[in-house]
Amino acid sequence: MNHSQTTVSRRNLLLGTGALGLSGILAGCVGGGSGGGSQNGGGGGGITFQNSIQDTSPRAALEHLVSEYDDGDVTMNSVATEQFRAQLTNYLRSNNPPDVLTWYAGSVARNYAREGLLLDVSSLWEGDGACANFSDALRSLSSDDDGNQIFVPTQYYWWSVFYKKSAFEEWGVEPPSTWDEFHALCEDLSGQGVIPLANGIGPTPWMASGWFDYLNLRINGPEYHRELLAGEHSFTDQEVVDVMEEYGRLIPYFDPNMTSYDNQEAVTPMANNEAAMYLVGAFVTEYFPEDQRDDLDFFSVPVINDSVPTAEEAPTDGYFAAARGNNHEETLAFLDYMASAESQETFIEMSDSGYLPTSPDVDTSDFSPLVQKGIQLLEETEEITQFFNRDGSDALQATADDALTRFLAEPESLTQILEDWQRAAEGTFD
Amino acid sequence: MAVEAPSRTEETRTASPQAPQRAPGFGARVLSRLRRVPMLIWLFLLVPVVFEVFWVFWPALNSFSLSVTRWDGITPAEPVGLQNFVDLWDDPIFRTALENNIIWIIGFGGLSVVIGLALAVALNKPGPMVGLYRSAIFLPMVVSLAVTGLFWRVMYAPDGPMNASLGLVGLESLQRQWLADPDLALYAVLIAAVWRQVGYIMVLYLAGLKSCDESLEEAAAVDGANAWTRFWRIVMPQLKGVHTVVFAVTVIDSLRTFDIVWAMTRGGPYNETQLLSTYMFQQAFTTGNLGYASAISVVIFALAIGFIITYLVRQSRNED
Amino acid sequence: MTTTTTSSRPARAPQVRRRRRPARSPWLHVAMVPLSLLWISPIVFVGFVSIRSFDDIAARGIGALPTSISFEGFITAFEGGGLWRALGNSIAVTAGGVFLSLALSAVAAYALSRFEIPLRKTILLTMLAGNLLPPQILLVPVSAITDSLGIYDTLFALTIVQVGFGIGFYTFVLYGFMRNLPDEVFEAARIDGAGAGKIFWAIVLPLSRPSMAALGALSTTWIFNDLIWAMTVLRTEDKFPITAQLLNMMGGFGSSWNVIAAGALVAAIPTAVVFFIFQKQFVSGLLVGTDK
Repeated sequence: MNHSQTTVSRRNLLLGTGALGLSGILAGCVGGGSGGGSQNGGGGGGITFQNSIQDTSPRAALEHLVSEYDDGDVTMNSVATEQFRAQLTNYLRSNNPPDVLTWYAGSVARNYAREGLLLDVSSLWEGDGACANFSDALRSLSSDDDGNQIFVPTQYYWWSVFYKKSAFEEWGVEPPSTWDEFHALCEDLSGQGVIPLANGIGPTPWMASGWFDYLNLRINGPEYHRELLAGEHSFTDQEVVDVMEEYGRLIPYFDPNMTSYDNQEAVTPMANNEAAMYLVGAFVTEYFPEDQRDDLDFFSVPVINDSVPTAEEAPTDGYFAAARGNNHEETLAFLDYMASAESQETFIEMSDSGYLPTSPDVDTSDFSPLVQKGIQLLEETEEITQFFNRDGSDALQATADDALTRFLAEPESLTQILEDWQRAAEGTFD
Repeated sequence: MAVEAPSRTEETRTASPQAPQRAPGFGARVLSRLRRVPMLIWLFLLVPVVFEVFWVFWPALNSFSLSVTRWDGITPAEPVGLQNFVDLWDDPIFRTALENNIIWIIGFGGLSVVIGLALAVALNKPGPMVGLYRSAIFLPMVVSLAVTGLFWRVMYAPDGPMNASLGLVGLESLQRQWLADPDLALYAVLIAAVWRQVGYIMVLYLAGLKSCDESLEEAAAVDGANAWTRFWRIVMPQLKGVHTVVFAVTVIDSLRTFDIVWAMTRGGPYNETQLLSTYMFQQAFTTGNLGYASAISVVIFALAIGFIITYLVRQSRNED
Repeated sequence: MTTTTTSSRPARAPQVRRRRRPARSPWLHVAMVPLSLLWISPIVFVGFVSIRSFDDIAARGIGALPTSISFEGFITAFEGGGLWRALGNSIAVTAGGVFLSLALSAVAAYALSRFEIPLRKTILLTMLAGNLLPPQILLVPVSAITDSLGIYDTLFALTIVQVGFGIGFYTFVLYGFMRNLPDEVFEAARIDGAGAGKIFWAIVLPLSRPSMAALGALSTTWIFNDLIWAMTVLRTEDKFPITAQLLNMMGGFGSSWNVIAAGALVAAIPTAVVFFIFQKQFVSGLLVGTDK
């Protein structure tokens, strides 16, 4: 009897110690956590700037801009794009969210705005705010359903057919000005044993959408293109069939290895003068060895159907801010700084890449000839689209990747592919 | 280092102060003590269990409850009943992923177990160079998966070593774009995954072989049994415990395989190398269908449970 | 690094007792030398990439052999000290995670294997089942939980999550080993009056050393190479472990593979070291259940 009582009391003691130990650990962790949190969060202690920019030079440019910012304390976190995308909703919903985040303009930002997760940045778009004199196109791109601005665009880039001047000279060819000339050029290059068109649709299948977008823009026009990507037309339409047939005519000109390459590896044959042209975003300049970058030039995909307005793809990048952040004033001040003409100029100069400013006040005279030409291209075009996933959605992009890469492998099953595409696309629109 | 946590000793000793006073017991007393589970043991069990429930089962429950909703992660989730599962059934990509996963479990599991066991047996006995061989086989484990994926992409590149060596031995007709060929890509990735997994399996079997009774085998050798018979009749039965562990590791890893596929093909070309895990990730984070992705994860979980429980139940039946 | 771990150790002598087997056939080496070379070729490859310059890779592709040596990759990788910090974070999380998960699963396995706890098979299988969950789908709830506990974005949270997702499997493995420990040892200890805690400490733990060492090596590689949980519960770059830092280097549009390769080589060192230490442990360690 006596015996068992001691046992019991010992057990109680043990249990008590155990529980105490546990709660101690828990208390410790909660304390430690909130301490860590307030450090990078709000409470007047500076703001957090979460970004997914990973290319070396643009990131260095951003770091430079942040370090030059004197009006507050900014902690910059660079995070892999996939992680950023997977965590974005969590970031915005968090009790202690990062204040400023990189993203691109379009439907995703609007969805977040609908849930009240984004900070209204309209104040930057009026008076002497940094975005006040940005173009109307940018303003509407950055507005939510109610016409308030929730996005701060800071740069964009253009898509075109890039080539090396020295290589074209060596092969004795000129950039084409009509679609027929383009085909003739491809024939000529093929005849010389050069691969006319580089591409990398292996790990980066979305690269196949570049040509789709441009052919659709050139054949059916930007209006049809936007409507198609908004679900107002079917991918089984004759219009899309026309586009795909034109796309099919290009298949013999593509690098046969494109299905193995990603968009960066696709550059290697071009660097070695084994491939000639590459329809790609201006970020491609960074992929080339440094001594070849000045040799790069580009031409726009030639007109195919002259009854539709000209259009170019120019994806717009920038920032939005978390509504739940607890330092709105500092956040707006920082965004104003990042969007200012001086910051844009610094960023573009340092980033080594083909970025264009969104601010009309940026002095572009010092920019490289390539960037100057890019600016001119976008000024002269009648309409601007972004890219398949930004004009449509990331979900729709996945269906395009499937359909287009399959088409490039087996063009003869076009009908079946378009039917499958339409079915998959319908699933993304509701 | 985990083996020698020093601070615990004293605590445990003081925790049982009355133990030495106990009368040296009889068999019956020992048995009854065995039945009574001391408080300390309950604590031993409870802490880890609570831990796992909180960090694994609670979020899992949260997640599974999403499988009956349509949710993009932004707007409020909308209950749709079993619609996601119905959609899964009609989803051709899901079916491809499911088929691929079955190929994966058999191919990846089978190959890595057979090669891993063979290597463990070959490298069990010490000898010159054996340590080096073991280290070499294990080495792939220490390289991160992303880099592993990169390495194998280079191996399989159109003018990479794989095609180059085929060309060298005059088999140009077999040269392929390994990762871009829808019929081959899955197997190409599978080889890469096996290459990395073999080290794990070998280590587990090496640990198991160390605990085998050598004298049994030697006795059999004296009786004239050849190496093959000795292996199957004497060594294999002793490895039963390890087999179970290896089976569990293999099933878990097959269903969880993600990084290497993601790094090498992203599930392409046109979803032909999609596994359930990569398809789920794509649905959840690229296309933002978290409800649908949850439904896929329920299927993965059910499959894993199915495999493992079947195996364990069969095994415990054999024991009885 | 002549890892002839076993043969030279005196501790093994009693086990290798009796007559030696006839000399091994040379075929082992004939097969193993090329196989080993094949197995280590990626490391060599990564080494080659790490000493090439970016321009060389861009011009000749990543698969080409180096023609000259450049330490550009290593210099860039270590610039700003980010890689060292990440390595430190990884080591902290791995050490804490491995220790905690082995400790927790050892006590759980002990309780389940040596005591008549009702439904113990069910508990064991349920715990194992927890490890079968695909982690990708738990990303959202886990980060929400850490957020509401206020430990989001701490290394502590990462360690805890790693432990939570490991113990099921470790318990399952250790259960198998501990159940097979010879009963006589326990009887003897009980007769000597040792309590459950003392038996665990003085008998079970030392006897489980080989399996703990094997698990330790496995879980080190798991936790150290984990990426998905790091991506889930961390957002401040300063707290990233090496895997997230490497991913950070390689995403985006342009990848400096020489920098990534240099980082990857450095990242592989700690796991390699731990593995070779533990390998000695479990290869030369005590035998479980041999005397049955």
